[in-house]
Amino acid sequence: MLRLLKPKPIPSGHHLIQRCAVSGTAKGKAKIKAGQALKRSRITTKKPGSESKPGGPTGSREKQERERLYEQCLQAPTPLRYLTQKQREREAEREKLGLISKERQREIDMMKKKNEKYKVSEKPTIIGTPGLDYVSLGLVDVEKLPKYELTVEDGRRLAKEYSRVLMRKHRARQAAESTLLRLKKEAIEALPEGLREAALVPDLSPFPVNRFMATLTPPIQGYIDQVREAANKISGMEKIRMLPRKKPVILFVSTLEWDCYLQFACME
Amino acid sequence: MKMSLVRPLLTRRRFSTSSENLVASVLFERLPVVIPKIDPMVYAFQEFSFRWRQQYQRRYPDEFLDKSDARGKGDYQIDYVPAPRITEADKSNDRRSLQRALDRRLYLLLYGNAYGAPGGKPVWHFPEKVYESEDTMRKCAESALESVLGDLSGTYFVGNAPMAHMVVRPTEDQSVSTSFKRFFFKSQVIAKNEFNIGKCEDFVWVTKDEMMEYFPQQSEFLNKMIIS
Repeated sequence: MLRLLKPKPIPSGHHLIQRCAVSGTAKGKAKIKAGQALKRSRITTKKPGSESKPGGPTGSREKQERERLYEQCLQAPTPLRYLTQKQREREAEREKLGLISKERQREIDMMKKKNEKYKVSEKPTIIGTPGLDYVSLGLVDVEKLPKYELTVEDGRRLAKEYSRVLMRKHRARQAAESTLLRLKKEAIEALPEGLREAALVPDLSPFPVNRFMATLTPPIQGYIDQVREAANKISGMEKIRMLPRKKPVILFVSTLEWDCYLQFACME
Repeated sequence: MKMSLVRPLLTRRRFSTSSENLVASVLFERLPVVIPKIDPMVYAFQEFSFRWRQQYQRRYPDEFLDKSDARGKGDYQIDYVPAPRITEADKSNDRRSLQRALDRRLYLLLYGNAYGAPGGKPVWHFPEKVYESEDTMRKCAESALESVLGDLSGTYFVGNAPMAHMVVRPTEDQSVSTSFKRFFFKSQVIAKNEFNIGKCEDFVWVTKDEMMEYFPQQSEFLNKMIIS
């Protein structure tokens, strides 16, 4: 039985406007430049004219402080701007003409500032909390580290070496693990009949909960007792002591190594 | 029936092995306590990528970052000095202590009368026991370790199956006449810092490299059986 297809409704005039390939909508004509503040991200505080502030001038000062903080966070600068090659050339040409864009001006001001935070770090930096990072704990031989600049070519060279080293280790570990499995199979086959079936039964009893996981530093004897007695003594107060201030830098956890190590330590 | 014992690890026996002696021995290991050293190449690349990313990261004002320092009630931590990774046992090379070589695995070796030792003299060996009609070989291995340690509260046997075996052929001066098979079972130290090792004259906790000094003939077998 043939069914007549319903004719598709022609969208009125929409097919004449340029369509976005993905969403099927008309593309926005107002292009937003890179780095320009999106309109949504401005905090619009509606000041109703009839309301009077209770605190008077102090209230508005606090509010100003907060507004200033928000502004600083939303317009937070980066030491190096990410520009494409075309943009870079254009900026160079504009500078020859004497025109300097706002961002470029900001960059120049930042470079003149003394604060180290705003500059690109020249020396190798500490990653993570100052006391507990790999270098100060002696986990890395600082002398054996290769020298490098912060350029793309050096980055590529380092990446190739890194990949080579890790792949070598991975292959060695895979070979060792397959040897282990092979030895285990041979051992099971070498058992006499009755014992062999008993050995082939998988042991599904749960792993011990308190199996110790390797950590960065060895456990300190009596630390947990110190914590407990301090907590009991000062149970009224909010906090005992502040930890040394840590900036929320992205913590350096080499997940690749950690996964391999995890596999390695818990393998049968 | 021809016995083809070309290499000690091949078992192509055609007859039943009920007349053979089986020995269950235990590879008792302590897992590493501290993470191992990082390769300088790996660290260099990760440092490079960290600094490269940091170039393009936004710098937020300090008072904003300080807001994360507020701690809730009940979140107690004390400032501590991290313990050193190289302990006194390392410096004095005290092989009987478990605090040595914290970033490697340690294995237990006993010095005493082993089954099938040449001339009945004490040798270095793993804790072992001859199989005598128990339910499984794993139980035999557990009783072997129990006789050495006293109780099994700090141990965990990994799986029911042995991890490797070797066929020991008798030589002229050995106390045993037939060849026997030695099966190794893996077990790990759980949450204990020291053990009372009995039933032997001496014991050591050794890493893989040091174990090669104690067993010079079986070094390739041990290299296959133990990864690191």
